[in-house]
Amino acid sequence: MLPNKTSVINTRKDMFPDKKSTSKQMKTSTLTNAAGLNSLITFTVLLLAWISGFASRLFAVIRFESIIHEFDPWFNYRATAYMVQHGFYNFLNWFDERAWYPLGRIVGGTVYPGLMITSGSIHYILHSLNIPVHIRDICVFLAPIFSGLTAISTYLLTKEIWSAGAGLFAACFIAIVPGYISRSVAGSYDNEGIAIFALQITYYLWVKSVKTGSIFWASMTALSYFYMVSAWGGYVFIINLIPLHVFALLIMNRFSNRLFTSYTTFYILGLLLSMQIPFVGFQPIRTSEHMAAGGVFGLLIFVATLRHLRTVLTKSEMKYFGGVVAVIAAILLLILICLTYAGIVAPWSGRFYSLWDTGYAKIHIPIIASVSEHQPTTWFSFFFDLHILVTTFPVGLWYCIKRINDERVFVILYAISAVYFAGVMVRLMLTLTPVVCMLAGIAFSDLLELFFKEEDSERDRSNNGSEEESEEERERSPGRALYDKAGKLRRMRHERPRGNGDGLGVNLRNGVVIGAFVLMMMFTLHCTWITSNAYSSPSIVLASYSNDGGRAILDDFREAYYWLAQNTPIDARIMSWWDYGYQIAGMANRTTLVDNNTWNNSHIALVGKAMSSNESAAYEIMTSLDVDYVLVIFGGMIGYSGDDVNKFLWMVRIAEGEHPQDIRESDYFTERGEFRVDSEGSPTLLNSLMYKLSYYRFGEVKIDYRSPSGYDRTRNAEIGNKNFQLTYLEEAYTTEHWLVRIYRVKKPNEFNRPSIPISKRIVARNANSYVSKKTPRRKKGYIKGRPTIIKGQKPQRKPT
Amino acid sequence: MINRNIIVLLCNVVLLVGVYVQSFAAANIIDPDLNFKNVEKHIDLQSQLTKITTRLILENGSKDRHIGNFLFSLEPEQKNSLSYIAAYREPVRVELKLTEVKVNVYPDETFYEIELKDPLSPGRTMSVEIEWILTHELIPHPKEITQKEKQLVKYIGNIYLYAPYIITKQTTTVSLPSRNIETYTKFKPVSQSDSFITYGPYEKLPQFSYEELNIHFENNNKFLTVTRLERNIEISHWGNIAVEEHIDLLHTGALLKGSFSRYEFAREPKSWEASIQSFDTILPAAASDIYYRDEIGNISTSHTRIKKDSVELNLRPRFPLFGGWKTKYIVGYNVPSYEYLFHSGDLYTLEMRLLDHVFDDMVVDELIMKIILPEGSKNIELSLPYSATRLPDSLHYTYLDTTGRPVISVTKKNLIENHIQNFKLKYTFPRILMLQEPLLVAAALYLLFLLVITYVRLDFSIDKDEVSESKLRIAGQCEKILAAQDRRVTSYNELDDQLAYLKANKDANTFLSVVKGINQEYKSTTSSIAEIAQRLKGESGDVYDRIQELQKYDRTLKELYNQQQALYVDKLVPGKIGRQQFVEAEAAITKKKEECVEKINSIIKSLQ
Repeated sequence: MLPNKTSVINTRKDMFPDKKSTSKQMKTSTLTNAAGLNSLITFTVLLLAWISGFASRLFAVIRFESIIHEFDPWFNYRATAYMVQHGFYNFLNWFDERAWYPLGRIVGGTVYPGLMITSGSIHYILHSLNIPVHIRDICVFLAPIFSGLTAISTYLLTKEIWSAGAGLFAACFIAIVPGYISRSVAGSYDNEGIAIFALQITYYLWVKSVKTGSIFWASMTALSYFYMVSAWGGYVFIINLIPLHVFALLIMNRFSNRLFTSYTTFYILGLLLSMQIPFVGFQPIRTSEHMAAGGVFGLLIFVATLRHLRTVLTKSEMKYFGGVVAVIAAILLLILICLTYAGIVAPWSGRFYSLWDTGYAKIHIPIIASVSEHQPTTWFSFFFDLHILVTTFPVGLWYCIKRINDERVFVILYAISAVYFAGVMVRLMLTLTPVVCMLAGIAFSDLLELFFKEEDSERDRSNNGSEEESEEERERSPGRALYDKAGKLRRMRHERPRGNGDGLGVNLRNGVVIGAFVLMMMFTLHCTWITSNAYSSPSIVLASYSNDGGRAILDDFREAYYWLAQNTPIDARIMSWWDYGYQIAGMANRTTLVDNNTWNNSHIALVGKAMSSNESAAYEIMTSLDVDYVLVIFGGMIGYSGDDVNKFLWMVRIAEGEHPQDIRESDYFTERGEFRVDSEGSPTLLNSLMYKLSYYRFGEVKIDYRSPSGYDRTRNAEIGNKNFQLTYLEEAYTTEHWLVRIYRVKKPNEFNRPSIPISKRIVARNANSYVSKKTPRRKKGYIKGRPTIIKGQKPQRKPT
Repeated sequence: MINRNIIVLLCNVVLLVGVYVQSFAAANIIDPDLNFKNVEKHIDLQSQLTKITTRLILENGSKDRHIGNFLFSLEPEQKNSLSYIAAYREPVRVELKLTEVKVNVYPDETFYEIELKDPLSPGRTMSVEIEWILTHELIPHPKEITQKEKQLVKYIGNIYLYAPYIITKQTTTVSLPSRNIETYTKFKPVSQSDSFITYGPYEKLPQFSYEELNIHFENNNKFLTVTRLERNIEISHWGNIAVEEHIDLLHTGALLKGSFSRYEFAREPKSWEASIQSFDTILPAAASDIYYRDEIGNISTSHTRIKKDSVELNLRPRFPLFGGWKTKYIVGYNVPSYEYLFHSGDLYTLEMRLLDHVFDDMVVDELIMKIILPEGSKNIELSLPYSATRLPDSLHYTYLDTTGRPVISVTKKNLIENHIQNFKLKYTFPRILMLQEPLLVAAALYLLFLLVITYVRLDFSIDKDEVSESKLRIAGQCEKILAAQDRRVTSYNELDDQLAYLKANKDANTFLSVVKGINQEYKSTTSSIAEIAQRLKGESGDVYDRIQELQKYDRTLKELYNQQQALYVDKLVPGKIGRQQFVEAEAAITKKKEECVEKINSIIKSLQ
């Protein structure tokens, strides 16, 4: 009987292996059905990506304070504050007489207002809810907040292109990748901070609309394109990439009515909307940058018509028709060329040329070349900004090419063009970063999917033991929940036989998975390290660390700007190199001659000329420009390398470009072609205004006992021109570490003594009529009641 | 000088007339019987303030009258620069009440009526000390100095006491910050020793006597003025009081002439004597979370020293202040409310300083103090230690406010350290209102969740998505079928149990009765599946086919069970079958059953 019984029990066990699991599954399904779990995981991952992205951008705020960084953000902040104070329409009509004296600047018409509107509306909403957050704090934290939105839009875009799993990877990558953090740390209140979000969401909507062919999504694309146009000049990238995508699809013979609907809707709406931004105005129909979009629009309509006609007309009629079309196209092209020559359609702008020819700017527009972020990218910075993603994204690209469809064509084009542009300019690394994250996300997701799945089917086969399998089933379900049910069914049928033949060992699988995780962990560490060390200094507050780890803050910039704000007349005009224009306007609230909006090259050249001329020639320029104060940055005292003497050659070059007869770059070099500030330096340099203002009275300073007096720490040289006096200027203020030096331009009556007839002369007695009452013997200073010491006697205290 | 004498003379005449005309008009007359027997005037010019302390000995010269109060006056020029005045009775220091009054006889002069606590009986004397402090009286001379020069200031005052009574004897001392005195009025008898100048004694001085005192001396002390001080006190009933002070500073000493040289500033100590680099602010001992900033961010140079009864804050402005330079900053801190806010029931009393210390010997040109009370405070009563202008109340909106917080504002001009005194503010606040803000947050979150819940459950699409809807319906039905199948499985399992039991006990009757119940349930379940399947027929043929298949296999399985049951009941229990035969038969049935179950399972899996 016994064996019998066991057999019965065994049968029962084998009978309904699913019994337990089904009932359990029932339970879980009522609590959290697959869709619920799916969205919970997505939500959690995106939320965590947002939080970590936000948190890792706060290094500067925690180390220093909630403050606007760098240069450009100061203008954006000032403009935002103006808008909040005076209202949107006054902002659009704002004529800023504080900048580009005496020209002024029409701010409303020369700015992308998206950033200001965004933070202004956040401010408005918060204040109408009685949440009194200062506009500065909104500006500081805007970019980190938008980084979360970027992560979400990247997730959506990747999900459309590949899968939700890849999307989550991409979202996590973009949340912390240094290439994007560099432009979106807390305090860097710049257009790029919100523009990358706008870029990604536009692309998402575009892909969505190509996929669905619905007018709704196409209009949404146009709206988000409008937001992008309002936010950043980089919108040109979109308006060229989307037509490129359409064009590529046409060439690949992938024309569809969906494509037709979405592009035509997007183009017309986008064109009209983009022209609403005052700064853009009629550019979309008048400049060459935008012509490609129009051309593709025409082409698309032509192709659609052709396709339609093909269904209506016979072959011979088509041939005839083709000839007509060719003639029309040729005429249109000719008209375009004529318009360009006639000046109605503007040719490519200089900045655009420099994208194709990296040497162009250096020859033709020194002002563009002088900006460090316009330099070509080094290999090092690719790795620095992207780390492992730079090696994994080609894998994702390969996957996309291998399994091509309409929307993957888009991402391929995006990747290729972005890689090119990132190679040309450091600054455009930013547009490369999102696509790299997406493709790396695809690569990682595909890799892990492959290796995790194999493991499952392997176990499936090996464990016919029912209980364990059901356990497995349950464990797997969250992961599987990312894929829809239909997919699961198919997989079950296909994978099983293949799994049998596949020889991937457990060790290999584990090795690969662990390897991938180690890579990702290293990526995280790298990102945190880079963010903390390279991208989190506000650059207006410098910190130095002493040997014992103590931190000293060099707050010289704000010291000087605040001095200007408090102790100069409200309408004082301050001349400085253009780098500091926005900061002076923002922090000191004084009129500047030139600033970071480098729209007027000749004005900048004039300032450059004043800085490079000798004092008397500079004085003429300064009086003609009504300059009251001159501000220079001098790093020789503390060894700060980004000072004006190091930038001086650019001033000379830009000045030479406009005034070649007065300023020659070669004059500032020694005979051997060196740029030296010591006694061997060229006399033109040693007598230039910039040199004198930087080194005024520095020749007397001895930093330590070993070095000679007037030793410049930045350039490691003893300065060549030490004891000179300023005739036309006087030192008004120098900050604690000599970093910022401010000089007052004297009025003519202060150094030009008018001749007074002898009869009218009044001999002024020394203003200090105080005469010391000390006798010559006591003049040295003495100690009251000092005991007189006589050798061999006890000192006696005098009674006092 | 002559003019003044004439005025004094005239005054005397008028006074005499006045005395006769209004001799019994009680209030505000100058009592002819009172005189100052001895006056010691001390002028302290060591800081930027002019502190004058006068010790008087009053003598009641009348025969039979007690004197309860006396008048005191100040030079007309001092009226504007007067910041603080107080009177004390000596030698046991008791503060006396002092009120500003007008005397009809001298409409232009300002008088202060000082009430003596105990009336002065005839022929007796009493010692009284009057202290008054004037601001902005020291004028830098020369007005502009270079960075290296020392600061010289000029003082113009009165050697005598400008009093409405006859002074029998007076001495005046002037104390200066240093021995470097350029010039001083040589009005005999006078003597100078070290940094003190002593005038007098002078005897038998008439009323309102005036002799100009002119001193030109070196004063390198801080000439720093707070041109505007805005002090905000925000009360939270959750246990915190936040204090924030917006301070505008101006160096009111001699202006800086020519350029500022950082080189000299760093090298020669002489060149920063006239500048102000830092000063100490004393905050309450409980102050925490102190911040020191201005419009463009933190000012990173400040230190706090925590002392027993205070927190000393060493503040360095962003740049050293030279004559005529100004700066602005904000200092803020939190203090726990239990030290300043007292309540019984709904009645609250706040007792804090109207003005707090900024730096020693400070001068505050204008003070604006605002108290922000919690939302819903009513019946506000403010009592001030000295007269000040109360500005109209306003409302302040901050986090989670609906009706706004009442703001009480007070302003006063020309204040100094002696004005650091407490005010009292009484108000009522229903404590239940403390719950308002948490409830508001809770309600807002509740609404948000409700909105999300509704949104997720509603369909906002314009057109119906037939395909996905039917998919959902099928999924729903499948789930039901699976549940039914689950029940069926249970009944099979029970049947198995019963069969095993039967095999062991061979009790056919009990078995049959139990199996009847099981079969009943099985039947109902099967019929319900069939019903659902019928409904599914219209939706999806594919699923319907699969269910039909399932039903088919299920029937086979049931048949097998029936066979097994028959085997047990008919053959095993009565013992009609051999052991070997039984085992074979059972094995055959079991095998078939397994096959069947596998098929069913695969169908179920496809349905999931």
